[in-house]
Order: sequence, then C-alpha cells, then structure tokens
Amino acid sequence: MFKVIQRLLNSRFWTLAVKEVQQILRDKKLLFMLVFPPTVQLLLYGLILNPDVQYLKMGIVDQANVATSRELIAAFTENQVFVADHYSIGQQTLGEQVRQGDIAVGVVFPPEFNRQLAQDKPAEIQVLVDGVDANTAGIASGYITQIVQHYNQQLDNGETPIILSLVAPKITFLYNPGLISSWFFVPAMMGVVLTLIGSIVSSSTLIREKDTGTLEQLLMTPASAIEILLAKVVPLFVLLLGDALLALSVANIIFGVPLRGSFPLFLVLSGLYVFVGIGIGMMLATLCDNQQQVMLTSFFVNMPLIQLSGAIAPIESMPAFFRYLSWFNPLRHYVAILRAILLRGVGLEVIWPQAIALLVFAAVLGTISAKQFRQQVS
Amino acid sequence: MKRIWSQCIKELAQFRRDRLTFALAFILPLGMLLIFGYAIRLETKNIPLAIQDFDASPLSRSYVERLFATNQFQPIAWSGEGDAIAIIDQGLAKAAVVIPPDFSRRIKDQKTSAVQVLVDGTDVNNARVIRNSIRATTNFFLQIQNLQPRTAKVVTRIRLWFNPGRKESLFIVPGLYAVILAIFPALLATLAMVREKEQGTIVQVYASNLSAAELLLGKGLAYFIVAMGEALCIMGVGSLLFRIRLAGNPLPLLLGTGLFAAASVFYGLFIGGRASNRITAVQGVAFTGFLASFLFSGFIYPLSNIPFPIALIANIVPARYYIDVTRDAFVRGTGWGSTWVALVAIALLALLFFTAAWRGLRRMQLPG
Repeated sequence: MFKVIQRLLNSRFWTLAVKEVQQILRDKKLLFMLVFPPTVQLLLYGLILNPDVQYLKMGIVDQANVATSRELIAAFTENQVFVADHYSIGQQTLGEQVRQGDIAVGVVFPPEFNRQLAQDKPAEIQVLVDGVDANTAGIASGYITQIVQHYNQQLDNGETPIILSLVAPKITFLYNPGLISSWFFVPAMMGVVLTLIGSIVSSSTLIREKDTGTLEQLLMTPASAIEILLAKVVPLFVLLLGDALLALSVANIIFGVPLRGSFPLFLVLSGLYVFVGIGIGMMLATLCDNQQQVMLTSFFVNMPLIQLSGAIAPIESMPAFFRYLSWFNPLRHYVAILRAILLRGVGLEVIWPQAIALLVFAAVLGTISAKQFRQQVS
Repeated sequence: MKRIWSQCIKELAQFRRDRLTFALAFILPLGMLLIFGYAIRLETKNIPLAIQDFDASPLSRSYVERLFATNQFQPIAWSGEGDAIAIIDQGLAKAAVVIPPDFSRRIKDQKTSAVQVLVDGTDVNNARVIRNSIRATTNFFLQIQNLQPRTAKVVTRIRLWFNPGRKESLFIVPGLYAVILAIFPALLATLAMVREKEQGTIVQVYASNLSAAELLLGKGLAYFIVAMGEALCIMGVGSLLFRIRLAGNPLPLLLGTGLFAAASVFYGLFIGGRASNRITAVQGVAFTGFLASFLFSGFIYPLSNIPFPIALIANIVPARYYIDVTRDAFVRGTGWGSTWVALVAIALLALLFFTAAWRGLRRMQLPG
C-alpha cells in the first residue's frame, strides 16, 4: 500500500497534477469564475423565473351593482390571482384598457344581469382576457371558470344543502405540494451552471497553454500526452465537483430545495456529468485556435444545449424533431437525473437509462478529445 | 459628417471580410430563432395520464373517455394494477386518476364520489395546467351526463383577445426578436471596438483629429446598418415560419427597432471600450446581454413575478421596453397609443449608453 502511494507521489502524473493545481490556485480569475458566476446564475434564475399566475390586474365594469355581482367580485379577488385594479364605467373603456395591456382581465356585469337573476335565468357575465401571453391567459381563464363554478355550487348549497358536486376530483401535487416554482428551475440550473463553467474552465486552461506556447515545452518533457491530459483533467474534476456541491448547497439553503434521494448517487452521477462537461470543453479547445474563439463557440454550443434540455420549457411540448434531437444532449439527461434525485427521491432503479446515457457521453467525449489531443500533440 | 461616414465605410469593409463576424451576424441569429422559436412552449400537450378504474362501469368509462377527448392527455400503456404513485415516481405518467369502486353507485345514490388525482408537481406550470383541465373536464362531464344538480345561476362567456387559439408562438417569437437583437449587434460592436484596441490601431485614432463622438458614431452607424439588416432577416424568416403578421401600424415598430438597434450597438461599444481584451468583452456582452434580455424582459414569464429589489434592474434593460413594442406590433396592434412610453425609454437608454461609451473614450483622446 505504502509503495503504491510512494510510486504515485514520484510519478510524472503527480508532478504535473501538482503543477496544474498550483497554476489554478494562483489564477485568481479562474477561482472567481468557479465561485461567482454559478452562484449568481443560480440565484437569478431561481428568483426570477416564476410561472406563477398571480396579481393579474382585473378591470371591472359592474353595471348590475347587486349583491351577487359584488360577491362574485370578492370571490375573484379573494386569493390574489386577480387584483381589482380599475373600476370603469363603460365596456368601451374596459375594452380599450385590455387592448392597451393596462389590465390583463376585464369583467363585465351587464345591466340585465340583475333581471336574469331575478327571473331565475342563467345570468351572463362577460370576461375579456388578454391572450398575448398564451400560457398565463390559459391558466387565468381556467381560474375564472372555476371561481364562477364554485360560486354557483355555493349558491346551490344554500338552497339544497345536500350535494355540492357528484364528482369531486381530489387533486394532490406530488413532490412539490406548494408548487414552489424555484424547485422546478433551480435543480435544472445546477446542471446548466455545471455545463457552462465546466466547458469554459476546462477549455480555457488547455487553450492557455496553446496560446502561450507552453504546451510545446510540456511536450518536450518525458511525460506522455495522456499523462499531460490526465494531470489537467483530474484537478479540474475535483474543483468542478466542488462546484456541484456549492450549487447543491445554494439550492438547499437559499431555495429550500430538498434532497430526497441518495447523496452518494447524486455525487457519483454529478461526477460523471462533470466529466462530460470537461469533455465538451476539451473538444472546444482542440477545435479552436485561441481563447476568443473558444468563448464564442462555447456560448453558441451551450445555448442550444440549455434550450433543448427541458430546464426551462418542457421537452414534451417541443416538436418531434427537437424532442429526438434532445436525446443527444447530455444536459437533458443530467437535468432529468437532478430532478429525479432531488425532488422525486427515486434511485438508480428509475434513472438508470439516463445514467447509462451519461456514461456513454463521457466515454465518447473522453475518447475523442484524448485522441484529438494526441494528434495535435504529435 | 464626412469623417463619420468614412469611418462607417471602413468598418463595414472590415465586417464583410471577416467570416466569423459575418456568421455571428446572420447565421447564429437565425439558428437561435429556430431553436428558441420552436422549442419554447411552456404548456405541454399530450400529457401522459395513467388511469386506475376500480369501478369499470359504463359511467366511469365515459368519464375516462371524456378526459382523453380533450387531447391534452394521452393514455399510457399500463395494466392499472399496483400503486399509481409508483407510475409517477418512475416518470411514466405525469398524472394519475384513480376512480373508486363505488364511483357509479354513489352517483346513482346522489352522493359525491371522490376521484383521486395525483399530479407530478415537478413542473409547476404544467401541474397547474393539469389541475385546471381535470377540473374543467369533470364539470363538462357532469353537464353532458345531466348530473349537475341544477342549472348554473351565473355563466361566464370568456373571450381571449388577440390570440383566441392560444398559440404560444405569438407570445414567444416577437419576444425572441428582442432577445436576438439585444445580443448580436452588441456582440459585433464590442468585437469591433476591442479589436481596434488589441491591434493597437486605436492609438492611431487617438492621435488623429477624429473625435471620440465621431469614432463612436461612425462605428455605431456601421453596426446599426448591420443590425437593421439582421432585424429584417429574422423578422422576415420568423413571420414566414411562425405565420406571424403585423397587426397594426408598422411605424412604431420601425422606429422602435431603430432605437433598440442603436441602444444595443452603443451598449456593445461601451463594453468594448471598457474591456481590456476580447475575452472579457465578449464574455461581458454575451453574459450580461443574454441574462438581461432573457430574464429581465418578461420574455418567458410576466415581469411582475420578479421580486422587488431585483425587479428594479429591469428598468434599465432596453429589451424590456422593446418587447412591448414588438408584441404590440405583431399581436396587439394598438400603435402609438400604448408604445410611446416604451419608445421614449429605449431612446433614453440608447443615449445613456452612448454617453457612457463617449466618456470612456474621451479620456484617452489627446487634447487639441
């Protein structure tokens, strides 16, 4: 055992790795890159991306002005989905306000509302919804229908107190009962951040040696290309795994995202993904000539990777072509893994396909970039 | 004036010669338009739904049929045996409906029958969509089966304005124009500025009698022309592919696009003037430009959902105003009335970025 350690410490790999670590630790900018942007991005995305439908401005024209209409207005604004913003006089003004985007929803109680109620006919109210934001508009109109239905049932209940509704769906939200939006975005952003940082940091450490010409010097030493490459990858791997832990702590401490699954599994699969990220970076570095090119290409490689990962928009709703394309996106699998381990608390028995996919990506990217590196070197 | 013009001509010649910048100006924006335009759909269709029907009566079967009739849900291949939660745990279904054995019996007895619905809450937005549509379908089922205790007292007539079919592309694509035009012109301008610095040719400019304002305006004009070409290109392709048409007066859009392109270019020149090398400049513009126009513009979710102190940042993001202009031009079509405030804001921000860039450069200028 002691001999193995002795041999490791005397090996060329060790010397190179120590050099690499020293270089990284001396590079304040790199350390800054490893800590600052991931934290800020996680915070921004977690705080800002929020699909809640709340505080929609509601304009009201109440030409009936009876108890029923007032009760309904109170019901609409009860749970903060809608806030009564404008009470206007005419339908025309209301329509104009919706058109201009001043209010999101307009409700009109026509003058005959009262009469229809008194005659026991169905009394009609008109609702105008600003449909520009299709997603919000859909959910908002769903709420309106439900509120009115609920109100009707209450009215019925007052007279015939037996039945509310013959079929009552009891809806339970699993994994995120409070529907906290950051729980959806933050785990995915952990993956995004690792991709961005991993690819940029690894490509820039490699390209720097190319830029400054020290790569040639390294090659003159008796160390083989693989030893040089390994000595570069291993310290990066450790640092980036540290980044994954940092991201997990930010998610957990600031956003309260739970870790329901197994921590070792998270660590192992994150390690695998970090390796994929480094592989992407190495590929970029071998393809590009200088740091500026690396920056630009990594920006444009990462953007589609992020967009087609399901981090923001669900993959199921993409057109078939992009859905299939996303299978070749390692981030897609890692995002699925993160959400599964953190939120659903499931283990390898469920996420093994994604884990295998990552393994394949790591193997393929590793082989290609090692080969490329050797070719460029010799 | 002549000096500005010749600076602009020189810049355009340089732009044409460089293949990388040319790709940056036209190919990448189109790629981004395609990927973002097609891939961002917030609402899921064809949600995999698991059914566990313990009743298996004609009534329960027609309820299940009703659920799938909306074509929002898709049945999954599942025997219906075992635990419904396990199916969702495995990610095979996004929701499960469990119909109790006494479903039809209780309904016949005029008693409420509770149907258990389990929804995967991971995707918060679609969890809400699923809840709404299960509730709506249940009510519709009750109506057509004449199971509603009595006719409703109050009925709602909901009309969706501007976008009755709720096409999400109408929301996403005009917003995308703003995101693209915020990033690429700025990136090109910053590269041009910093190139001059890295190659040292900026010293010649400093020594010449070209003033800082003239330099900025010359470079700005060149990339302004490129940006307008880009705008034409992506709006043309976007309108064709996503079937989006101008909804009203095109003049606010034209003016807004001009002002926004200028703001974007001046922002790039400002960063380029400040950064010491290309890498910092590119990173600065790509990072801040993308994050700002993506997160702080209301591109995906309403701006009003951003919590208070950081919501203030949105006020100095030009894309936040321009997105109002594009959505108005392509969807609402109200014209000047609702866009003039946004136009003024973009103009002010363009002026702000120009001044910032100018102050940075002027200090380097030789006196005289």
